[in-house]
Parts: sequence; C-alpha cells; structure tokens
Amino acid sequence: MSMQLEQSPTTTGEVVDNYTINFGPQHPAAHGVLRMVMELDGEVIERIDPHVGLLHRGTEKLIEHKTYLQALPYFDRLDYCSPLGMEHSYVLAVEKLLNVEVPLRAQYLRVLFAELTRICNHMLNIGSHVMDVGAMTPNLWLFEIREDCLNFFERASGARMHSAWFRPGGVHQDVPLKLLADMAEWLDTRLPTLFEDAMSLVVDNRIFKQRNVDIALVSKEDAIAWGFSGPMIRAAGIPWDIRKQQPYDVYDRMDFEIPVGTNSDCYDRMMVRVEEVRQSAKIMKQCLAEMPEGPICSDDRKVSPPKRAEMKSSMESLIHHFKLYTEGFHVPAGEVYVATESPKGEFGVYLVSDGSNKPYRCKIRPTAFSHLQAMDFMSKGHMLPDATAILGAIDVVFGECDR
Amino acid sequence: MTVLHSAPKFASNEGVLDTLSAALGSMLVSGKEEHGEVVLTIARGEIENALKLLRDEHEYQALMEMAGVDYPSRPERFDVVYMLLSYTKNHRLLVKVNAAENTPVPTVTTLWPNAGWLEREVFDMYGVIFAGNPDLRRILTDYGFEGHPFRKDFPLTGYQELRYSEEDKRVVYEPVKLAQDLRQFDFMSPWEGAEYVLPGDEKAEGDKV
Amino acid sequence: MSTLVNSAGRPLSQGGAVTAPDQAFFNDLNQEVSDKGFLVTSTEELFQWARTGSLWWMTFGLACCAVEMIHVNMPRYDMERFGAAPRASPRQSDVMIVAGTLCNKMAPALRKVYDQMSEPKYVISMGSCANGGGYYHYSYSVVRGCDRIVPVDIYVPGCPPTAEALLYGVMQLQRKIRRVGTVER
Repeated sequence: MSMQLEQSPTTTGEVVDNYTINFGPQHPAAHGVLRMVMELDGEVIERIDPHVGLLHRGTEKLIEHKTYLQALPYFDRLDYCSPLGMEHSYVLAVEKLLNVEVPLRAQYLRVLFAELTRICNHMLNIGSHVMDVGAMTPNLWLFEIREDCLNFFERASGARMHSAWFRPGGVHQDVPLKLLADMAEWLDTRLPTLFEDAMSLVVDNRIFKQRNVDIALVSKEDAIAWGFSGPMIRAAGIPWDIRKQQPYDVYDRMDFEIPVGTNSDCYDRMMVRVEEVRQSAKIMKQCLAEMPEGPICSDDRKVSPPKRAEMKSSMESLIHHFKLYTEGFHVPAGEVYVATESPKGEFGVYLVSDGSNKPYRCKIRPTAFSHLQAMDFMSKGHMLPDATAILGAIDVVFGECDR
Repeated sequence: MTVLHSAPKFASNEGVLDTLSAALGSMLVSGKEEHGEVVLTIARGEIENALKLLRDEHEYQALMEMAGVDYPSRPERFDVVYMLLSYTKNHRLLVKVNAAENTPVPTVTTLWPNAGWLEREVFDMYGVIFAGNPDLRRILTDYGFEGHPFRKDFPLTGYQELRYSEEDKRVVYEPVKLAQDLRQFDFMSPWEGAEYVLPGDEKAEGDKV
Repeated sequence: MSTLVNSAGRPLSQGGAVTAPDQAFFNDLNQEVSDKGFLVTSTEELFQWARTGSLWWMTFGLACCAVEMIHVNMPRYDMERFGAAPRASPRQSDVMIVAGTLCNKMAPALRKVYDQMSEPKYVISMGSCANGGGYYHYSYSVVRGCDRIVPVDIYVPGCPPTAEALLYGVMQLQRKIRRVGTVER
C-alpha cells in the first residue's frame, strides 16, 4: 500500500483535504488481484475506483482459436472456486445450439456435481469472509469440508480442481458406485457436523454481526438496476434463482427452497450462502436417491465420443473418435445466450457460431463484474475496514471477473 | 423444431416478436427467432429510446450483459449485443445494434448504471465508441495498451511482451518473439470444397511440361 | 561432534526411501546440551538450519493455484509443520510462491514485491502458467513464464499442482538451500 497526500496538511485553520490510498493489487483481503484507488476523508470512504483486469488472460480470444471441446477447460479456470458451475453454462450453450438430448443420468450427475461445487465455493467464500473480519477458526473447519469436496471431484474426474468433466452431450465418465455411497454418507455425517459446528461460532457472534449488519445496504430497485444476481440479489429480498425460475437439467424435479434476505446487508448475503449450503445438500440427497441407471452421454456419435471398448471392435467408432478429437464437431450457425445459476450468481455464455468447429465468439458474463462495479456506491460513507467486509460478501473471484 | 436440449427454460417466445416489432415500429431494423432466442436489431441512433421503451413498457428490467462481436467483412463491422432480462415475465431478449469504428453508439448508462463498465469493456476490446458515457476508459487490458485485442485482425499473441531488464532495473516491453508459433490446423475437408488451391492442383492449370 | 542438520554425508538424490529419524543423533545432541549446557556447530550449518526451518512465504496468489496454495496451509496438509507460514508483507517473507497466471498488467507489481523482499530470498513458481504460460501461453496479455520477471528457484508443475505437489516443492527448496551455500563472504 502506498499512501500519498493530495495536499500537504497545514497546521492551523485550514481543512485537511481528502487523501487517496491505493489498495492492492497485492493485498490479502482483495481475494486475488484487485486494485482499488480509494479516496478517503479520514477513515470514511468517499469514492472507490476499482481497477480490474490484472488477471486479464484473453480467455475469450483464446477460445476463438480452439475447438468447442478444447475450449471447455478454459471455463474451469475462470471461476476457480467453482469450476463445474462454469462448465455448466458452456455445455448447455453448446447443447442449445446443437439441440442435442442429454440422457437423464447425465443430467442428474451434472446437478449432483453442480451442487457439490456450490458447497465447495461457499466454503471458501464464507471462510474467507469470516477471516476478513477477524475470525480464523471457522475457516480451518470449512476448508476441511472443501478437502472432502475436492476428493470427490478427484474420484469422479481425476482432477482435484479443474475437472473438465461436463462435456457437450453429457459427462465425461460415469462415477463409481462407491463414490455415490460415500457422498451420501458424507452428506449425512461429516458435512452437517463440520458445517454446523463452524457456523455456530459465526452466525450469532457479536463481533461478526457488528462488522456486517447494516453494512452496504442495497435496495431492491438498486439491485435490479445494477444487474445483481445470485446471493447478492436474493439478499436484497428478490427471490430470483435461475435454478427455480428457468430450470435446466433436472432442477425442475428437485424440491428445494430459495433463501431470501430481509435487510440486504453483508450479513444477509452471508446468511443466504449459509442456507444455500443446506439446500444444496438437500438437492444432492434427492439426486442420489432418484438417479436412474443408463448412459452418461448422448449417443449422437457426432458429438460425444464412443466407449473405448467399442472402438476395439468397430471401425466406425474408431473414425468417430478420431474425428472428434482432431477436428471436433461442427455447430450449426446461430447465437444463444445461456445463463445458469453459478454459486456466485448469473453466469452467462453468449455463444456465436458460424457453423465451423470453433466458436466465432464466446462472450462470458462474469458475475463479479456488475457486483464489483457497485462497490463504489455500496461503500460510500462506510469506514475503511468495512471495505473488506463488503468485498468478502460480494464473493469476487478474479479469474472470471477479468477473464 | 422439438426442443431436445436441457438448457434453461424461460417463458415462451410465442408472440413476443410480433408484439415487440409492433411496439418498436420504425426503430426496429429486423427481428428473428432462432435457437429459442429472440434477437432484435435496432437502428443505432435509436438504441437508447428502444431500450427505454423495452424497460419501461415491456418489463425488461435488467441489463445483464453486453457483448461485442466483430465481422470484419461488413462495412459496419461491429455488433453490440444487449442481453435483457425480465424478472416479471421471466423472459430473455437479445437486442443488437451495428456500428463501425467511427460511428458512436449512444450510451445506455442513463438507463442502467451497470452499463458503465459493460460499455467500457466493449470499447476496450473492440474500439466501439459510446457517445455520452462519462468514463470511457480502458478496463481490462494493460495500462498503456494499444489496439483492441478482440478484433479479428488483432493477432492472438499481440505485439508486445514483457521482460525484466537487469540493465534498466525495471520491466520493459519488447516485440513478441515466440519460440514456437501457435499451431493452427486446417480442418477444411477437400471433399467439402476447400477455398484454397490444394497442393498439386496448380499443376492442372499451369504449363504442361 | 554431530551436526545439527544432516547436510553432508547423506546422499541427496535418493528420493522415495523413507529414512527413520536417527535416534542416536538425538541422544548425542541431548547429552551434549545437558552435559555442557551449550552446543557447538558451524555458522554455515546454523544459518542453513534457520533458513530451512522458517521459510515464511509471501502470499502471491494470482489465480487458480492460489486455491491449492491455501489448501496446503489448511489443517489437512498443514505446511506450518515445516516452518513455512504465510506472510502478507514482502519485508517479512523469505520465499515468494508465484501461484497462477502472471499477466502483463500484474508483472510490474510482482517485480516490485520481489524487490522489496529482504535477502536471502527464494521464488517458487507454481503451476504451468507461472512456469511458462501454460494454457494461456499464446495470449496477448500473459507473461510467458514468471522467470522472465523474477529468478525462479523451484518450478512446481501441474495445472494446478495438487497441495502435495506444492508441499514437495517446498521440501525441494529446503534441500536446495542446504545444498547450495548461501553465506556470502
């Protein structure tokens, strides 16, 4: 942090002007690489100018140079706290252009793992939010849950974080039965024990409430005008959840509730996430109970690859496999905008295809962009230490914000 | 066409195009419904009025996203796409305008405050100018960056790269030097009609030896 | 006398084999302290012992790898048992873990933080992006490897490297410190 006075303070009579401080780009409370130029009047924030783009990697441009399948892993790396939530929007966008049917088991598996991702994401966010306002212990417990989640991802896809497991047409591989059994047991035992234990330290904690209640109030009108989504808009009292309103995959079969805030402050945002974890666990249990047997990816061989065993005996399968992994599939020309409820809010993919095997344009709608933009008006008039609480409650990850 | 995919299902598009075409009148250039998306193209000068009409009269309360697209072969090479969402009607709409490098698009920051950054991003990436945006700075690219990277004629690897210089004791910019070029494969099948001369074909036209 | 840190005498390149703690070594040490009340060792070994045992690292979390970097500090892997604790200030840290894609806009800040660290300082480059650009190698806005900006001691491969891999990287750095004498005369 560097500090610089705009005008030198004088001794008598004269008013000391506002001064500007530079927050970041390397700051432990910035949740990554955010730089904020803050104009302060003493301890009170007058104006914030967030500088983003410090992690701008040109993802959208790179996607234009890859086939549809090669572009998929970029989505893992956007919001690295919830990788599968990002993939979900992309595969649905590709499927919408192709109009390809996804088998029921694959849809259940996607919902199951999307919800596991949500738990995984909220563990990180709640933990770091709590840590930003001064409590260390809950984070240690919540990361233990995250470790369990990452182990589940590893057992399904082979990778702890960047799974690349959702594919256009289904999922990459079926899960072993023992994994589902272990997941069911985990949902009944370890998750509630660890999570409720950690939350009992936080939710009624006086210090935590003092740091969060009535911080960064946003009215319903403002929330809509600023394009809020996810826990941010729900904390403002608007029961908007794309999983419920515009169901995708098998969310229309799931029975779950949308937590809504009443006061629209940082505390509500945090509590919405806490309740979402419980609802996610509920959805996962339903998925595990109802999941049918069957194929895990589309049988349209122009889109999804054949099984390895088939390739040993069938020439046609071998050709399909070769074509899919070299040239990839061609997607009909057109444009779609598909948005799903990622753990952080509305994550959208605007995909333009020109009929070739590569996306002509792939615009990613990051959730953090509109939230971070509102940082200025949310923190106006608050104290400097509140900025970290506000930032923590926004749940910003720069991989997706800067792309 | 039957819907087979499992992408988010919002309210039906039935009749939306007709209603909105009638309401927008002369502001509308063209409208279509494809792949389950309603896409309206609006005359550039009227975009602010058209979006105001859609927001106030037709319940499209939120601007969720703005995207630029580049079609270098067209005279007005850029598309600016506005993604609107109606919370009450549970419907999504894509609204487009065309623009060139020297034809500014009226800003919509007057309607939605979050359009500020979205317009900055389209400006940064494509160089589309938004008339009336009070803070049209670059947003994502490097400080002092030149050019608009998402244009189709901008090379993927750019023009400049960074290195720490021991002599100058600071980070310096240099022209890009790649150890290995990006490998781009050509998937155009000769049976489907390649647009270039296949190796060996030039002999058919040339002088016979 | 016996040494504090087993730097010499033990073959260095035999990874894999588990070596049980040398009980005789500890007994000798214990005896020496209780008999005389003090220990005698060479300064070089003392410094190496101190350096390897307190690798406070600068949290330079840039992208995805930062998440694994946090995981390695959390109870499951608990990197603090190696004396490696996260510090937020470059002045207090000995090693910088560059975790994630280094972009052009961020590169001057990275160098500035590195310059502010006090000697002796080490850099661990974590993940393919920091090693050489990785998946983003051909992008117009990515530095193709953080070794273009700062000198790197240990490269940890992976996208992202697992927490174990980073832990192993830290142990490799400790081994490197023991092997390469760093006392400047």
